[in-house]
Amino acid sequence: MSGRPPFLLLAYSLKRMRTILLTMGALLCAFQILMVAVARAVERSGGFAQLSALIPPFARELLGPSIAMFLSFAGIVCLGYFHVAVMGSLVGLSIAVATVPASEVETGFMDLILSRPLARHWIVTRSIVAAVLSIALVLGLMVLGTWIGLETLAPSGAARPSVSLIGSLALNLGLLLLCWSAVALAIAAAARRRSVAGASAGVLALVAFLLDYVGRLWQPAESLARLSPFRYFSPFDLMMGGRLPLKNVAVLLGIALAGFLAAYVLFSRRDISH
Amino acid sequence: MPDASAVSIRGLSKQYGKLIAVNNLHLDVAPGEILGFLGLNGAGKTTTIRILLDLLRPTGGQAFIFGHDCQREGLHARSNVGYLPGEMGIYSDLTGFEVLDLLAGLSGGPVDRTRRRELQDRLGLPSSDLRRTLREYSTGMKRKLGLIQAFQSDPLLLLLDEPTEGLDPLMQEAFYTLIAETKRRGATVFMSSHVLSEVDRVCDRVALLRKGELVLLRAVEEIRRLASRRVRVHLAEDGSPPPDLPPGVQMMETAPRLWTFKVEGFLGPLLEILRPFPVKDLEVVEPKLEDVVMQYYREDHS
Repeated sequence: MSGRPPFLLLAYSLKRMRTILLTMGALLCAFQILMVAVARAVERSGGFAQLSALIPPFARELLGPSIAMFLSFAGIVCLGYFHVAVMGSLVGLSIAVATVPASEVETGFMDLILSRPLARHWIVTRSIVAAVLSIALVLGLMVLGTWIGLETLAPSGAARPSVSLIGSLALNLGLLLLCWSAVALAIAAAARRRSVAGASAGVLALVAFLLDYVGRLWQPAESLARLSPFRYFSPFDLMMGGRLPLKNVAVLLGIALAGFLAAYVLFSRRDISH
Repeated sequence: MPDASAVSIRGLSKQYGKLIAVNNLHLDVAPGEILGFLGLNGAGKTTTIRILLDLLRPTGGQAFIFGHDCQREGLHARSNVGYLPGEMGIYSDLTGFEVLDLLAGLSGGPVDRTRRRELQDRLGLPSSDLRRTLREYSTGMKRKLGLIQAFQSDPLLLLLDEPTEGLDPLMQEAFYTLIAETKRRGATVFMSSHVLSEVDRVCDRVALLRKGELVLLRAVEEIRRLASRRVRVHLAEDGSPPPDLPPGVQMMETAPRLWTFKVEGFLGPLLEILRPFPVKDLEVVEPKLEDVVMQYYREDHS
């Protein structure tokens, strides 16, 4: 088998997804520029100091020193990388990209693809590459938006977030998305309906998010929260000046690899029937 | 391993839980042969075709295409196969040309534009239609597109699942001509169909499945010979039919001047008993494949 057919399949998949990927990327790019504009407005009005003063002492104690970081120019600029709405839409996009094989089985298009001399593992490989490229494209556009915003709108005296902070946040978020892509792909590899695969992965992501949230607020749930991939997304530590923990990278990459491996095994063994 | 056959199926079984879709199927299709694969809905036709393409994994037995195991050597087995599924599952946002280019590309070979254009002309799907997205296609147009993608690389084996479903009579004719040419160039066709007249016309042999089991495998000519003929006897004047009929002859209908018999085997015994009667004319209705196959279908239903 020559190398051309798998690339053809990848190109076709990316072509079909280009509108949603570019739209999402453009929206996040614009969102980041907007966040810089908001941060500039607050900075110029001296609002960060006023906002900080409004926080009651007990809340300051509860939230710790990170609160100061968030009520700053850099904090507002970086908010997009861990805002619930942004994370939710990016996880949703990752799931949508990764569940394409289930859609191809459901419509019967997989019959036509696999009736050609194309090995099944290429279907999974195509989806992995498509997921990685999609995540890279969307996050790349998000970073581009941040850079454009900072270069054009940031006040001269403002403490800008460092390149390494933006890079670490994007990398950590990217790994989290890759992890959910892998989970969704593993489910899609065994599913006959995309809606079922997408919904299952979505519910799993929501449960994992809530588990992590509860674990952060309620001590007894903390050990259970370690099962959630969201636990290994640590924007607060990064904002406080910490480096991206290798443990987080390893766990998220490990989940991703396990998910992709499961997808290969499940897809190679399944019956293609719709 | 049966090298000489285009398709070789050895004890193939497929079970879904308690449901047996295909049961211990044995079948060989010679190169250059056109096999009609018949059976009522749920008989196991599509399941068998999907196992040949390694879309489904058998629970028992093996299937080979040109000597290559469909499961273990699937890439080799499928390297020269054209497939038309029962339903064309294609994304509606693609154009006809995009679908044809993608599927030709996935086959690994170069796209023969001349051959494609020839198929377009014959099946009545002009380039202006192929530039449109599939959401604008009718069922018949999708079927034509399916036929073009199956035939465009001139494969040595064609697996066609109900190929004329949704085609108008003119296009059905074009398809039959295409099949005849395919046979002339030595390719093999394995087609499932519910249209018995079509199978009668284009197929060399018929394999009939009933509840996953092969119940009939014969040449179409042979099946016709198996079937009983109808003989209509026109009389010059009113008369009563003979009370005793020879073996193999059965009275079907009687009217004062018209008797209809069903005859199995030679007509001699019938002609012998008709000698005393004032026979004006004799009409022999040749048997059709349909007569035999329908009998199997009725048994299946009962």
